[in-house]
Amino acid sequence: MHPHRRKRLFNIILVLLFSTSGIGLILYSLNTNLDYFFTPTELTNINIPEDKRIKIGGMVLENSVVREQSKVIFTVTDYKNYIEVVYEGIVPDLFKEGSGVVALGFMQNETFYAQEVLAKHDENYMPPNLSINNDN
Amino acid sequence: MIIEISHYLSILATGLFLLIGLISFITTDTKYTAKLISKTFSHGFLLLLVSFIIYIWLAITDNFSVQYIANHSNTELPVFYKISSIWSAHEGSMFLWIIFIALWGFIFNINIKNDEVLKPKSIGVISLILVGFLLFLLLTSNPFETILPIAPLNGADINPVLQDPALAIHPPTLYLGYVGFVIPFACAISFLINGNPDVRWEKLVQKWSVLAWVFLTIGITLGSWWAYYELGWGGYWFWDPVENVALMPWLAATAFLHSLSVSIKSSHLRVWTILLSISVFSLSLFGAFIVRSGIIDSVHSFANDPDRGLYLLMFIGIILIISLSLFILRFSIIRPIGNIKSFSKESFISINNIFFGSLIFCVMLGVTYPLVYEYLFDQKISVGAPFYNAIFIPIVLIASLFLFFSVDSKWSRNLNFNFFRSPIIVSIILSIASIILLIYFFQTNNFTFLISVYVGLLIIFRYCIEIFNSFYFKKFINPFSAIAHLALGLLLLSISFNSLLSTERALSIRLDSTEEYKDLKIYLKDIKVVKNSNHDSIKALFFIENSRGDIVELSPEKRRYRTRGQITTETAIHISPLRDIYITIGDQLDNGNWVVNVQLNYFIRWIWFSGCLMAIAGIVLIFSKRKV
Repeated sequence: MHPHRRKRLFNIILVLLFSTSGIGLILYSLNTNLDYFFTPTELTNINIPEDKRIKIGGMVLENSVVREQSKVIFTVTDYKNYIEVVYEGIVPDLFKEGSGVVALGFMQNETFYAQEVLAKHDENYMPPNLSINNDN
Repeated sequence: MIIEISHYLSILATGLFLLIGLISFITTDTKYTAKLISKTFSHGFLLLLVSFIIYIWLAITDNFSVQYIANHSNTELPVFYKISSIWSAHEGSMFLWIIFIALWGFIFNINIKNDEVLKPKSIGVISLILVGFLLFLLLTSNPFETILPIAPLNGADINPVLQDPALAIHPPTLYLGYVGFVIPFACAISFLINGNPDVRWEKLVQKWSVLAWVFLTIGITLGSWWAYYELGWGGYWFWDPVENVALMPWLAATAFLHSLSVSIKSSHLRVWTILLSISVFSLSLFGAFIVRSGIIDSVHSFANDPDRGLYLLMFIGIILIISLSLFILRFSIIRPIGNIKSFSKESFISINNIFFGSLIFCVMLGVTYPLVYEYLFDQKISVGAPFYNAIFIPIVLIASLFLFFSVDSKWSRNLNFNFFRSPIIVSIILSIASIILLIYFFQTNNFTFLISVYVGLLIIFRYCIEIFNSFYFKKFINPFSAIAHLALGLLLLSISFNSLLSTERALSIRLDSTEEYKDLKIYLKDIKVVKNSNHDSIKALFFIENSRGDIVELSPEKRRYRTRGQITTETAIHISPLRDIYITIGDQLDNGNWVVNVQLNYFIRWIWFSGCLMAIAGIVLIFSKRKV
């Protein structure tokens, strides 16, 4: 092979090597840092490791909010299944019984320990995957 | 009647801009057409401006027969917020967006002489982009829609979280930044059409691009500050999709400015510069698409309208296809002559482009991956801070190390690279000494913290030595670069300290009692219900005593607005140079205690200060006489 061409080939291989390994690393870190989103019904069907951070979403069940010291305990439901959520801190302004909520945290022994509780600043916000009829 | 005048003026302007676009692309450039295009553009801008001024006047005079104003304003509002209500929702903010594109175009138009080769086609490109957006405004999101025959007596009021001075100026500043990059984009396209490699489009656009970058930087900083104190988020950055779509154009713009500084001097990196100018503008448009289509769940809920999303997506698609095909067609003329010398400034900047490119790629991936994933696997996911931290921390740190060594490099010269030059050695020794002190004081072995602080210090010391040299030995220094990079070092330091030291805790406090948190004694003195003109609020009064016995008073609130029934939290913040004491009040428990959230945010002011410092650097460049 012509030395000039050999050098060029070498450069191309080097660039390809670097970019593929870079993209590989990025995708790997993306995959390990995803937060999966579940509704209470979806959660009953699968087992989530205790150290896997997930998001859950649903409606806050009426009359389920209990406050204990600085903790808030409430039930998230899609009106088919229920999950108890424990959160330490102040819930957002739009958090109220009978409206939508999304929580980020860990599932441990049937209880969800939330690190973050979100209610949107859009009053009409509905959590995703929940096209439910509110009347039951 | 007056509403229709405003409406017709904007339709007329659309027609005029379309005409300019056609003239500039169909006719050959002559002195006469250049003058015609320039004149007509100014007239088109004036029409739009009058239309917008009438619209502001409609908002000030509470003309609720305009549906948009009826939905977002109210007679009770002060005039300031009546005006800012125009950009509090989709239609009006789109209108503002268009006005700003036209404004940039107009100022460019009157500042650049008609005999500039690239001018007519640049103005043509800007006009066509304006036509695209005006059609979007008039067809899918018309702010002039009226309620007939009977207008409501009062408007629905602006969302209370938007009644804030920072929010009134944050969107306009950000928009000025976003759309400012229409100028480099238009000039790059004009250059590609022209096809003469000797035309220096880079010189033409530098100051304009820096100005747009300054607005973008200030806009993002303001947004971060606003979310901190008004939304009660209690932090400076959340990797929310809406923040991410603002970050991408900023990263692209920063890379563009770096790349531009090379292309101005030589034919090197022209490929990068042109690609980046196209990216900045399309990423700005992509941001508009993400925010306005409602395709992504974010705390910034804008109108959910698939039609709008589709229109914008097609618009971006057309712009990208045209500009990239032009780029490929003209690739031969922008190819560099000769190679970049190793360890020259050019080589460092090309490496920098790769780093910024990777960062943009990652943010793009994080924003779009959930959409693709849901489409493919029917499973909702979200990408949060851990991903971005895992990517940004190493890339930014490595890039900063390259920056540290690049200070010694020279333009187009093969520097005999010597690691043992005194400024490098001095900075390394000073940084290591400071790190040892830090380990001693904070008793920390947090590796990420130490390495980030180390790199931040390296940059700061290195540039301080440079500045010292320029004062005492009259050594040449580029003030823009020095200030902006000092700001980067400061940003690294303040973010590291913030994440190491900041803590928060929810406390439950009884009235007239004291709770301790860290070095603070928090005493709940009083809590009462206050009635105000448009809201009722629960207002608490805290006395907070630190270890030295200094007492500060803080009174956080929880408000309920009467017109919308919306509840908002008003934080109370005690600001000092090193840390913020940040208090929000929650609900009352059954036993009468109040839940109170206390945050100690260290060095958070310094983060915003670094942002401002970067903007100041940009302003310095704009006003500097010396060619950079």
